[in-house]
Amino acid sequence: MSTSTRLAVLSVLVAIGAVATYVLLLGVAVVRNHPEGYVIAFGVATGLAVLAVVRARARRWPAWVALGVTSLLLIAGAWFNFVVTRVPDAPVTFKVGEPAPDFTLPDAAGRPVTLADYRGQKPVVLVFYRGYW
Amino acid sequence: MSELQGLGAQLSEAEQAGVEIIAISPDPNQRSQELAEGLRLGYRFVADGDLAVARRYGLVHAGGGPEGKDVPRPATVVLDKQGVVRWFSVSHNFQVRPAPGEVLRVVRSLVSEKG
Repeated sequence: MSTSTRLAVLSVLVAIGAVATYVLLLGVAVVRNHPEGYVIAFGVATGLAVLAVVRARARRWPAWVALGVTSLLLIAGAWFNFVVTRVPDAPVTFKVGEPAPDFTLPDAAGRPVTLADYRGQKPVVLVFYRGYW
Repeated sequence: MSELQGLGAQLSEAEQAGVEIIAISPDPNQRSQELAEGLRLGYRFVADGDLAVARRYGLVHAGGGPEGKDVPRPATVVLDKQGVVRWFSVSHNFQVRPAPGEVLRVVRSLVSEKG
């Protein structure tokens, strides 16, 4: 295998490894809270693919395939992390030191859950999330 | 779901009994509840289908969801035993959540608090 092909394979492995690491370790806070990590890894992979293209002599297609795959991932990953996932800043209606607004909502079994019922009982953590993420 | 694992998984059983974690999303949550029970996390999943509660808290990201639907801004709000807000964090990137260690520190101090 030529140096160029080796670099091409390595660059694709780095890119795939970044996707796999992020997806498999989403439950690990350090990985989840640093999504720019996969963008950096895609950048490294693209760099390796550029080297592969520069070094290519006889068989050029593996280097070009690697460059195509990794640069697409770099663009898509950067767009996702820096554009799609942004949440605009806006004021919240509650304040530290003031009572939280009360609510009653149904749980998974349809039973009502009322925030005020916990008053004088125990601390409460409210986790607002999107469901699919 | 993944964001919910960090916090509950790091609390001891006694600590889980001393705090109520309420996960609020527009989804019906049956699957999340089953997942949480499988992971032995003491969560209550509640459905905020029309985002009325997220709106009351000022936590709606207008048009931020698929097909331009309104979605909640991911946020964690910690209340003490009297229902007073003691700490909160709102995400600026929906992939990112507060570090579990930070939330744990606040929760632990409130669980051991008198009153």
